[in-house]
Amino acid sequence: MKISLKINGVDYTVYTEPRMLLSDLLRRLGFKSVKVGCDTATCGACTVLINGRPVKSCNVLAAQVDGAEIITVEHSDEVLEKIREAFRRHHAAQCGFCTSGMLITAYYIVKRGVDIKEGLGGVLCRCTGYQNIVEAIKEV
Amino acid sequence: MKYIGRPIPRLEDDVILRGRAIYVDDIEPPGVLHAGFVRSPYPHARVLKIDMADVEKAKGVVAVFTEGFAPGGKVRFQGEAVAMVVARDKYLLYDALEKASVDYEPLPPVVDIFDALKPDAPLIDESLGSNIVHTEVFEGGDVDKTMEKADVVLEGRFVIQRVAPAAMEPRGVVATYDGSTLTIWSSTQVPFDVRKDVAKALGLPLSSIRVIQPYVGGAFGSKLIVYPEEIHIAKAAYLLKTSVKWTATRTEDFKATTHGRGLVLDYRVGATREGRVLAIEGVIYADVGGYYWGEGLAETAAQMLPGPYDIKHGRVKTISILTNKTPLGAYRGAGRPEATLFIEHIMNRLADEVGEDPVEIRLKNLIKELPYRNVFGVVYDTGDYVATFKTALERLGYRQLREWAEEEWRRRRRLIGVGLSTYVEITTFGYEIAIVKAERDGSVLLITALTPHGQGLATALSQIVAEELEIPIEKVRVVWGDTLLVTDGIGTMGSRSITAGGSAAILAARRLKEELRKAASQLLNCEPVYKDGVFQCGEKKVTMADVVRAVLKGETTAQLTVETVYQASPTFPFGVHIAVVEVDIETGFVKPLIYKSYDDVGVVINPLLAAGQIQGGALQGIAQALYEEIVYDQDGNLMTPNLAYYLMPTISEAPRFEVYFAENQHPSKHPTGSKGVGEAATIASTPAVVAAVEDALRRVKKIRFFKTPISPEDIYKALWG
Repeated sequence: MKISLKINGVDYTVYTEPRMLLSDLLRRLGFKSVKVGCDTATCGACTVLINGRPVKSCNVLAAQVDGAEIITVEHSDEVLEKIREAFRRHHAAQCGFCTSGMLITAYYIVKRGVDIKEGLGGVLCRCTGYQNIVEAIKEV
Repeated sequence: MKYIGRPIPRLEDDVILRGRAIYVDDIEPPGVLHAGFVRSPYPHARVLKIDMADVEKAKGVVAVFTEGFAPGGKVRFQGEAVAMVVARDKYLLYDALEKASVDYEPLPPVVDIFDALKPDAPLIDESLGSNIVHTEVFEGGDVDKTMEKADVVLEGRFVIQRVAPAAMEPRGVVATYDGSTLTIWSSTQVPFDVRKDVAKALGLPLSSIRVIQPYVGGAFGSKLIVYPEEIHIAKAAYLLKTSVKWTATRTEDFKATTHGRGLVLDYRVGATREGRVLAIEGVIYADVGGYYWGEGLAETAAQMLPGPYDIKHGRVKTISILTNKTPLGAYRGAGRPEATLFIEHIMNRLADEVGEDPVEIRLKNLIKELPYRNVFGVVYDTGDYVATFKTALERLGYRQLREWAEEEWRRRRRLIGVGLSTYVEITTFGYEIAIVKAERDGSVLLITALTPHGQGLATALSQIVAEELEIPIEKVRVVWGDTLLVTDGIGTMGSRSITAGGSAAILAARRLKEELRKAASQLLNCEPVYKDGVFQCGEKKVTMADVVRAVLKGETTAQLTVETVYQASPTFPFGVHIAVVEVDIETGFVKPLIYKSYDDVGVVINPLLAAGQIQGGALQGIAQALYEEIVYDQDGNLMTPNLAYYLMPTISEAPRFEVYFAENQHPSKHPTGSKGVGEAATIASTPAVVAAVEDALRRVKKIRFFKTPISPEDIYKALWG
């Protein structure tokens, strides 16, 4: 089937199987920042913004996002760069595998003024103990 | 230039923060095929027949492998692989895997270690004649006589659950064969071991195999053995002369990646009326699973069981027992967290028994003078445990926290507990290699055999080399994770990286400096002194870059690349950690509120990174105390096969961390002076949290727990029956 979507501001039209997961489609298109850390929509490493809202892309079929606007961590703008810099200063990334999910969620939190702890509840990190991530987001 | 001790943010972060760091699943050689495994649904079964006819006919399937699985024709744990399928697409691969038809003859499973020891227990490895795969005895002093003289003798059994290391990145392997070199990318801590094992399995020389460790999404000890999948994928790429990739699903990872902890201690401890421990004896049982991959776990726990306490008489036997579960392996601390949890539990029980408080009982028993040979012959190198312990309590505000908890109970009926733990840890072993290269522009490349996977070692090593060579840190580049770059190495594990690999780097840099100094002396016709990248005698001077260029032009000679093999020996960090938790009296639910640490880990190269290790490690230990548990049912089915069932802490469970490092450090004798920090908090946090829960409950009922995790149900039952 054919779907059209906008990823990080660029238009894509792709042919895909109906059963293709969005996370797999994005990775096949080269957006490797989208990490797959579980198979139960628990870890949140694959979180992307779909029409401005954070969604676990492993739990969405590519077919469901026809016409949608998607943001992944390959994106760059002033807010995301500020978040990156804060993450770096606060040592908020260790192994980096959850970091894409954390950054995208942080981006949403900062843009929408969401409570940090509530906002980050859906992304698991095994390395940091979370504190440095919270400190980083607070500073942005 | 002063870099040691500075909280420098990581130099290697940019690629991660842009989502551009390349992990194994991101590697896609042209035409890469996707491999998957047919895994046993039975924990213990004879494999009668594997029929892959329908798989071979399935769309997209390229090859099927059934050789080299299930040794002895048996599977020993649920999820053990019995066949491998290679297909041209991941989706088609999973369709094909469904079509495998395997006949099993289920055998009675051995799930509980004590059932496994019964004379009529089914045997997992018939060749052993029992389910005991290894046993050792550690002994010192005269336990029997001393126990007789003891005023107080306490006995008990403490059970530590199995947990999953659960790095966020599941394991994965990519291999490609170009007709002469077999290149393997693996999510591993041990690329050199992968190379050795693949070479052996395929009968290839080491020089024709290259193993690359790409970015690794966490490991915590679960990626420090060579797994069957790594061999199978390498073999498939070699035989098919193509590229093959396998990435574990999370459920696969829970079944096929080693679990941690899983030790039980039966103990007897003898003490004086005043609470001085005289003797300890016990048996440590290890639930090693279907294969004995996790060697030495019970033995490390046994040797470190006395902890930082002066105990002169001891005897500990270890018994490692096969069960029909996923093999046990290292998990952040690997034996030391268990030893510490055991001995801290014992100290707290003893305190209750003799009517002492947790601080006094420890002061009475802490080792007074270092170096110290413990009863099992382990020599703790440096430290001042009593002074550090006292300072820690001051700096962490232990008394104030207890007063606050008391106040909250009196005024608001909040059940807040303050728990304390202290530990001594053994870190660092084996050799490590560093290569330092001088570039023609005065910059320096460090090649390390270490295998960082989140610790920030590239930054810490850059600090070390920049400091040693007195050059700006921007001039140092660190590369790692490729067997092509360096002869051999062990890797990042056991809190050894900076101490072993950093010391290798210091010595290599020092020798490079000496090489260049000799060349500079020829160029300048004098004996120059070195400062800030410049060789100088009076007015005459040459820079490092000048010397390198002179060597390249043939004006003088010097080795521009220096390789150092450093032989490291164990060193022993010490610390005091405090956990503050709140217990909901109605539900038994525990919320960690505050976590404070004070560690003497010797020289701290980078306090920002070191604190990161403490915070993350502490949350893992907290989770062991309260949430995480690998559960098998009585038939050997894994009941916690993924993150939906396995309770890994989210941000809601994280306490506020306050991390301190001792002002009065006791460095190791290694060139770095460091002792290691990677596992300290995983070791100290579990007993601190257990003690905190017990301290909170004390206001309602005096309870000591004999197991982890302490679930809300355990608390509810302990309180209300």
